[in-house]
Amino acid sequence: MRKMYSNKLVIFSLVLPGLLVFLFAILAPICLSVYYGFTDYSGMGKATWIGFENYKTLAHDTKFFTSLKNSFLLAVGFICIQHPIAIIVAAILDKLQGKAEGFFRCVYFIPNVISVAIIAYLWKFIYNPDFGLLNNVLKAFGYQGQINWLSADNAIWAVLIVLIWHGFGWGMLIYYTGIKNIDPVLYEAAAIDGSDSKTTFLRITLPLMKPVIQVNVTMAIISALKQMETVYLLTNGGPGDRTQFAANYLYQQAFKAFKYGYGNAIGVVFIIICLVVTVLLNNVIFRQEEV
Amino acid sequence: MKKKLVAVLMTAAMTATMLTGCGGDKAAETADTTTSTATDEAADAAEDNAADAGESAEATGEAVTLKIFSNLPDRKNGQGLVEQMIIDEYMAENPNVTIEVEALDEEAYKTKFKAYSMDGMPDVVSIWGQPAFLDEVLEAGVLAELNEADYADYGFIAGSLEGFKKDGKLYGLPRNTDIQIIYYNQKMFEDNGWEVPATYEDFMTLCTTIKDAGITPIAMDGGDGWPMACFLTDLLVKVAGTDYADIVSNAIATGDFSAPEIKQATQLLVNAADAGAFQTGYDTQDYGTAQNLFTNGQAAMFVMGSWECSMALNEDIPEEIRTNIRAFTLPPMADGKGGANDIAAWNGGGYAVSANSEIKEEAIKFLNYMYQPDKLSKYGWENGVGMSAQDQSPFMTGNETELQKQVVDILKNATSVSGTPINDCGPSAFKTTIESEIQSVSNGTESIDDFLAAIGAACK
Repeated sequence: MRKMYSNKLVIFSLVLPGLLVFLFAILAPICLSVYYGFTDYSGMGKATWIGFENYKTLAHDTKFFTSLKNSFLLAVGFICIQHPIAIIVAAILDKLQGKAEGFFRCVYFIPNVISVAIIAYLWKFIYNPDFGLLNNVLKAFGYQGQINWLSADNAIWAVLIVLIWHGFGWGMLIYYTGIKNIDPVLYEAAAIDGSDSKTTFLRITLPLMKPVIQVNVTMAIISALKQMETVYLLTNGGPGDRTQFAANYLYQQAFKAFKYGYGNAIGVVFIIICLVVTVLLNNVIFRQEEV
Repeated sequence: MKKKLVAVLMTAAMTATMLTGCGGDKAAETADTTTSTATDEAADAAEDNAADAGESAEATGEAVTLKIFSNLPDRKNGQGLVEQMIIDEYMAENPNVTIEVEALDEEAYKTKFKAYSMDGMPDVVSIWGQPAFLDEVLEAGVLAELNEADYADYGFIAGSLEGFKKDGKLYGLPRNTDIQIIYYNQKMFEDNGWEVPATYEDFMTLCTTIKDAGITPIAMDGGDGWPMACFLTDLLVKVAGTDYADIVSNAIATGDFSAPEIKQATQLLVNAADAGAFQTGYDTQDYGTAQNLFTNGQAAMFVMGSWECSMALNEDIPEEIRTNIRAFTLPPMADGKGGANDIAAWNGGGYAVSANSEIKEEAIKFLNYMYQPDKLSKYGWENGVGMSAQDQSPFMTGNETELQKQVVDILKNATSVSGTPINDCGPSAFKTTIESEIQSVSNGTESIDDFLAAIGAACK
C-alpha cells in the first residue's frame, strides 16, 4: 500500500481530478471574470477592451456602495445578534437533555431545511400590510393602523430579521456540536468547585468554543457578503435600492442591465473585499486574542 | 438490542430507496406513455390528413426536431395554452416534425436567452420588439431576417411590425397588441355610487373617495417597476398627446429628461402615490399580490395591460368579481394635450427565428404557420388573452365577455397609439434604472429632479 502511494503516477492520477475541477470550474472562471472586468462586454456579441473604465465607474457608483454598506450591516447583524443568541441557545439546549433537546434542536433548524424561495414568500406574506400575519396580530391587540413593514425606512431591518432568522439554525447547530465536544469532566469539576451556570458558561464553555466561534464567524461574514437569493426573492433590492446587497447588485448589473463587463468588475472587487475581510479576521482579530 | 435497531433502520432506509426508485420508474413510464400516445395520435391525425389532402410527401419527409424557446411557462392557460395548441396542431399535420418546447418565466428567459446567444439559439424564440431588448440582440446578429413581403396578407395591424425592424429589415413578428388599462370592479362602483371618471381630476377625486370608504383605490404592482413605468407612460401620453414618442426618443438619445412634459407626468405619479391611490406597501409588492387585492375585492381598480382581459374567464377568480370586471383608459387632463382616445398601447412580445438554426426553412415555415390569421389571432381571441397584432374582427362571435368588447372598442376608437412604453425605449441599463428609481421617486425618498437625472445618466 505504502509503495503504491509513493508511485508518482498514482499520486498524480489521484490528484488530477480535483486539480482539473479546480482549474476549470474555479480558477478559469475567475481569470475570465478578471478579463471581462476590463471590457464592455454585454453578454452577447463582441467584447472590447476598455482598461480600467469599469473600475472608475464603480468608484463613483453610489448604488454599489449602498449595497456594500447593506452587506456589511448584515455581517454586523450576524455577528452581534445572530451568533450570541445562537451560542446561548446551543448552551441551553445542551443543558436540556432528553426529548426536549432533540425537539428544540429540530425546531430551530427547520428554517434551514425549507427552500429559500418558500422562506422569501413566507415572509413576504407575513409582512404584507393588507393581509399579513404581523398586522393581523397587531389588529388582534387593538392596533388600528396599517404598518408598512417594507417601507423605504423599515425595509432593510425587515430584511435583516429574515436573514438573521434564516441563518440562525446553522450557527446554532455548529455551536451545539462544539459544546457537545467539551469534556463533561470539566463541568463536573466546576460543579464540585461550586461554580454557578453563568460562570461555567463564561469560564469553560466560551473559551473552549473559540475555534468553533472563529470558523462560524468567518463563515457568517462570507455568507453575509454573498447574500443574494433571499433578498432577490423578497424585495429584489427595493423599494428603490434600500435593500440592495452587493451580490444582488452584481446580478442586476450583469444579467438585467446587460452590463456583463461591469458586473464582472463588481465581482472582482467583491472577491478582493471578501478575501481581505477573511484574512483580516483570521490574522488580526483572532490572533491578537491568542497573544 | 442496539444492533437490531440499526439493522431495522437500515432495512427501512433501503426499502425506502428502492420504493423511490420504483416510483421514479413508474413516473418515467407514465411520461413515456403520454409521449407515445401523443405521437401516435399525431401520426394518426397526420395519416388522415395525408390521405385527405394528398400530402404524402410531407408525411414521409425527413424527421426534423424543432426547438422552441418560449417565455410562457404556463401551458394550460392563456397565451401559453394558445401557443401549445398551435404546436400540437403543427405536429399533427407534419408527423415528421417533433417540436420541443422549453419555457421559462420572463426574467429567467431573458437570462438564458443571453446564454443561448453565445452557443447556439433554439430554432424559434420569443422576443420583444422593444429597443431595451432587441437592440443588443440584433447587434449580436442572432436572429434571422424575414421577408416582409411574405406577410402582406397576414393582416398585421399597420405599424405593428416597426418595433421588430432594424435598418428596414424585418427580424421578428409581433404577437400581441397591449393596451394600458385601468380595470375596475363594476359592482363595487355601482354599490357605492361611484362613476367612471371623465377627467383625470375626477379620477383623483374618485381615488380619494374610495380611500375614505376604507378600500384600496388602485392595486399597483410597484415591486416589479415596469407596471409603474407603464402607468407613467400613460400619464405622459395624456400630458403630451401625440408628442409622446418624440419626447421620449429625444430624451433617451440625449440623456436629458428635463422636458416639462416628463416632469409633469412624474409629478402626477408622485401626487397619486402621495394621495394614497395605491395600496400600502405597493412599492415592494409583486404582480400576484397586487392582482389578488383586486380579484379578491379588496381594491377597486387594477392598473395593468390588456393581456389581463383573460381575468374575465379565469375560474380561479370568484364569479361575482370575475363577471364584474370592466375597463377604462386613463381619462384626459384639463391642461393635457392627449385626448380620451389617445391611448398608451404597443406591440410587445413576438417570435423570431434563430440566424444559426440548421433548419431555418422549417423554422420559418412553422413561424408562418403560427401567424396564419386563423391560428395565433383566432385562438388568442377565443381564449380571451387580449388583442393580437393582427386583424381580429373576423373572429368576433358576439359571445365575447363584456371586458373583451370594451377593450376592442378602446382600440377601435383610438385616435392615436403611443408605441413602446418609456422603460422599454432605451438600453437595458436604462430599463433597469428607471424600474428601480421609479419606486424611490413615487414613495418620496428621491426628488423628481434626482430621478430624471438618474434615468438620464443610465442612457449614456
